[in-house]
Parts: sequence; structure tokens; C-alpha cells
Amino acid sequence: MIEGPILLVEDNPDDVLFTVRAFGKNHMGNEIIVAGDGEQALRLLLPSDGSRPLHPALILLDINLPKVDGLEVLRALRGDERTRALPVVVLTTSNEERDIVDSYRLGANSFVRKPVVFGDFVEAANVLGLYWLLVNEPMPPNRGD
Amino acid sequence: MALIDHTSAVIYMRDADGRYLLVNREYERLFRLRREDIVGLTDHDLFPGDVADAFRANDLLAFARGFPVQMEEEAPGEDGLRTYVTVKFPLTDAAGTSYAVCGISTDITERKLAEQEVRRLNDELEMRVRERTAELEASTRELDAFAYSVSHDLRAPLRSVAGFSQILLEDHSDALGEQARQYLDRIQANVARMAQMIDDLLHLSRATRVELRREPTDLAGLAREIATELRGRDPDRDAEFDIPDRLVAQGDPHLIRLVLQNLMGNAWKFTAHRGDAVIRLSGHEHDGVDVFSVQDNGAGFDMRYAHKMFQPFQRLHSASEFEGTGIGLAIVHRIVTRHGGQIHARSEPGQGAIFRFSLTPSPAGWVLR
Ligand SMILES: Nc1ncnc2c1ncn2[C@@H]1O[C@H](COP(=O)(O)OP(=O)(O)OP(=O)(O)O)[C@@H](O)[C@H]1O
Ligand SMILES: [Mg+2]
Repeated sequence: MIEGPILLVEDNPDDVLFTVRAFGKNHMGNEIIVAGDGEQALRLLLPSDGSRPLHPALILLDINLPKVDGLEVLRALRGDERTRALPVVVLTTSNEERDIVDSYRLGANSFVRKPVVFGDFVEAANVLGLYWLLVNEPMPPNRGD
Repeated sequence: MALIDHTSAVIYMRDADGRYLLVNREYERLFRLRREDIVGLTDHDLFPGDVADAFRANDLLAFARGFPVQMEEEAPGEDGLRTYVTVKFPLTDAAGTSYAVCGISTDITERKLAEQEVRRLNDELEMRVRERTAELEASTRELDAFAYSVSHDLRAPLRSVAGFSQILLEDHSDALGEQARQYLDRIQANVARMAQMIDDLLHLSRATRVELRREPTDLAGLAREIATELRGRDPDRDAEFDIPDRLVAQGDPHLIRLVLQNLMGNAWKFTAHRGDAVIRLSGHEHDGVDVFSVQDNGAGFDMRYAHKMFQPFQRLHSASEFEGTGIGLAIVHRIVTRHGGQIHARSEPGQGAIFRFSLTPSPAGWVLR
């Protein structure tokens, strides 16, 4: 089990509630921290004021965000040594081919379209949590080059 | 002399040095000169230098060839340059030496102008058609992009409806009571249905938004793959697929696959109630147009409603009889139309159905029946 919080970058409060609830149901126990837009996410992950950066076990990233959108966040994360190896799952309403292609080009680890039916949503959260927090072996800390 | 004077053509004769030997009456009229005054002069005495040079060059060409040559010439007239079609031929003496060239020139200025006008109108028409087509394509694309983003945006609130009704069921079940729980179930069933419809709309707009590639595509090969998929979905059914070895069309392989998937999927679905289903793919030529068909011996439909079935969400059977949302044929219709083709369905209740389509633009006025 990988320690550390899950960072959810999501502006829609309903989706925040559902995601928190869905991850709560699979008893992973990881804390969920929410950033309401891309700018806030970057401030947490890549602080420029000398404060300690957040090191989440998993980032769930929506694409359509106010101010700095999800793809820009992804580009910034992949361009910085400190965040290059963090697992990022793009979790969004779109399944527009362009969005999928752009996400993978920019270094997303997975692309998941949010299901409408809540049961499917819980199922998706379950699979994601299981894989990224239990199965997957992350990059050892301080070795991200 | 009389003969050459009674023609509307300009006739003249010049010697090897380009000096006039003779002109007809039309020549006199046209250039307001008398023949006595012209004889002995050259074109350089009568016309601007470049015009005279061109006449002389054509004379020399006729001399050199030794037989009649035809060309277009231009000469100044009362209202600007006139165009002539001219035949020039050398005159030879008994020893076989060419001593003069005779020219017959007919004024074709009006015809030429008319031709130019026709060509200009044609070009203009072609351009307008092209512009109009581009506009139409652009607005269809815009509309599809709009449909895409709208249906896309509809998913988010729908997710909220689905999510909260689920939370109500999970967390407040006791407080709600039996009746309320049933209503929530029905809300959820409809949300799921609407989500499916939105996804179908997305597919429909996607079918029109992708770039059309035309390449030789084997419909028979695609049909065999689809038959295998259909069989895999429902291994207990024994249906017969009748597919030729090869059936090649010019079109977009990805989009044609969608066409066959939907038509064969329908044939498969609407033959589900009978044990001896036969689904047949074939191709024929009609008036030089390649026509393909997918035929089945299933439930069929009433031709009175046939015009509806190619529109999104229009169905001719109830969901309790045969499931579906009614988007398949709308997608097929769009793809066929995008290829410039036509589609037509024929059936009778209980007698199976045949869907015929073409994938290339047909001759004007040609209608698939
Ligand atoms: N092979 C067929 N035999 C009889 N009826 C047909 C056949 N194909 C289509 N239809 C009629 O036309 C309607 C529209 O077909 P269409 O493929 O668009 O929708 P669908 O198959 O009902 O749903 P979907 O394709 O979205 O799953 C069908 O509901 C049916 O009533
Ligand atoms: Mg169908």
C-alpha cells in the first residue's frame, strides 16, 4: 500500500463529492486533497515560495479547469524534475480523441472517462485505487531524474 | 474574280516578298482601301509593325510547308482587335516553285467572345458550387462540433443526477419508503438511457467529423469480421451469413466498417426470433453505379414508416420487442451521404428487409430504388 494523499484536481463540487465518496468506498484510507483549479494544483505541487511541495501517491486530473487547464498542469508537472515521475490519471468527461492523444503525449499514465452511472463510477475508482495504490511500484523517492 | 468578291471572308494574295498581288472586295471594305492602291504594298505599309510581322511569319510558314496551313490571326478593326481564322496556301508555278501565298480569313470575333463568355460563366458556376459546398461542409462541421460539445456538457449534470439519486438510495433508504425508492430507481433508469443517447449522439457527430479517406476497401472482408463478432456475442444462435469472396468499393475503410456493422447488426437483431436466419451481403452494378446490399429474412418493417428510420432516435419497433436507441441507421445514412452515395430500404412486415446503398456520386437524376 502506497502512503501519501491522493490529489484530486477538480472544479465541479459534485464530482469532488462523488470521487471522495467512491474512493472512500474502497477503503484505501488515503487522504484526498482537493485543488479546485490548475493554478492551485501547481501551487501545491511546485511551490515557488519555498514551502514544502506536496508529494501525492496519485494525482487525479480533470482537463476542463478554470485558469490553468489540466493539460497545462500536466505539461508543467512533466517538465519539472520533482514531479516528473508522479502517477497522473486524467479523469474527465471528455473522450474526445484529441484530448486522449494530448494527455498521453504530455505524459499521462492513464486516461479515464468519468462514467455517468454512479455504480460504474465507484467501480472505476476501485480499479484505479487498486492499481495505482496497491499493484503499481512507484519510482523510489529522490531518484526521479 | 466574281467568286471571291461574293463572300464574307477576306481573301488576298501576296508574293514571296510579301507584296500584295490581289485582294477581294471584302478586304477593300474592311480596311477602307482600293485594290489598285494596295497592289505592290506589303503589310508593313498597312498595319502596325507587330501585326505585320505576325502576318509575314504565317506567310513564310505556308511557303515552307508547301500545303495549306490554318491559324488564328488578329488585325485591327473599327472597334478594336478582331480575331480571324485563316487558311493560307502557297501557289506554285509549272516548275513547282512557290511564287505566292493565298490567304482566306474569316472573322470569328463574335464566336470567340461567346466562347469566352461561356467559359467564364462555367468557371464562375464551378467556383460558386465549390464555394457553396465548402460553406455547407463548414457549417455541417460546425454543427457537429456544436452537437459534440453540447452532448459533452450534458454528461456532467447527468452525472450529478445519477450520483445524488444513488446517494439517496444508499444513505437515506429507510427514510424514503418503498414508493420513493421506486421513483429513484426509475430516475436512474432514465438517466442511464439518456447517457446512452448522448453517447450515441457523440458517435453520430464523430462519424461526420473525421476526415474522409478514399481507398479500395473490401466489404466482404469487413463483413466476415463483423459476422464473427456477432456470432461471438450470441454463440447459441445459428444464423447463416452469405458473403461473397471479395467486394471492393472506393471509400473510407473505417467508416464503411461502421456502415456494415450497423446494417449487419440490425439484420442480426431483427432475425433473432427465427431459427433459420440468413444474412446476405452482395454487390451489383446499376446504370454504372456500384450498389451494395445487406439482406435478411427477419421481422421486416412497414414501408409506410421507412422515411423515418434514417433519422436519429426513430425506431419502427418497440423496445420490448427489439432493444436499441435508433441511432444506427442515422449513422449509416450520414456516412453514405458523405461518400456521395444513396441508401434505400425495402421490406414488408414478416418478410425480412433489404438495405441497398452506393458509395459514389451517381449520375444526375439517378435515384436508388
Ligand atoms: N434489418 C431490419 N429489419 C427490420 N427493421 C429494421 C431493420 N433495420 C432497421 N430496422 C428498423 O429501423 C429502426 C432504426 O434502426 P437503427 O439501426 O437506427 O436503430 P436500432 O437498431 O433500433 O438501435 P441502435 O442501432 O441505435 O442500436 C429499427 O428500430 C427498426 O425498427
Ligand atoms: Mg441498429
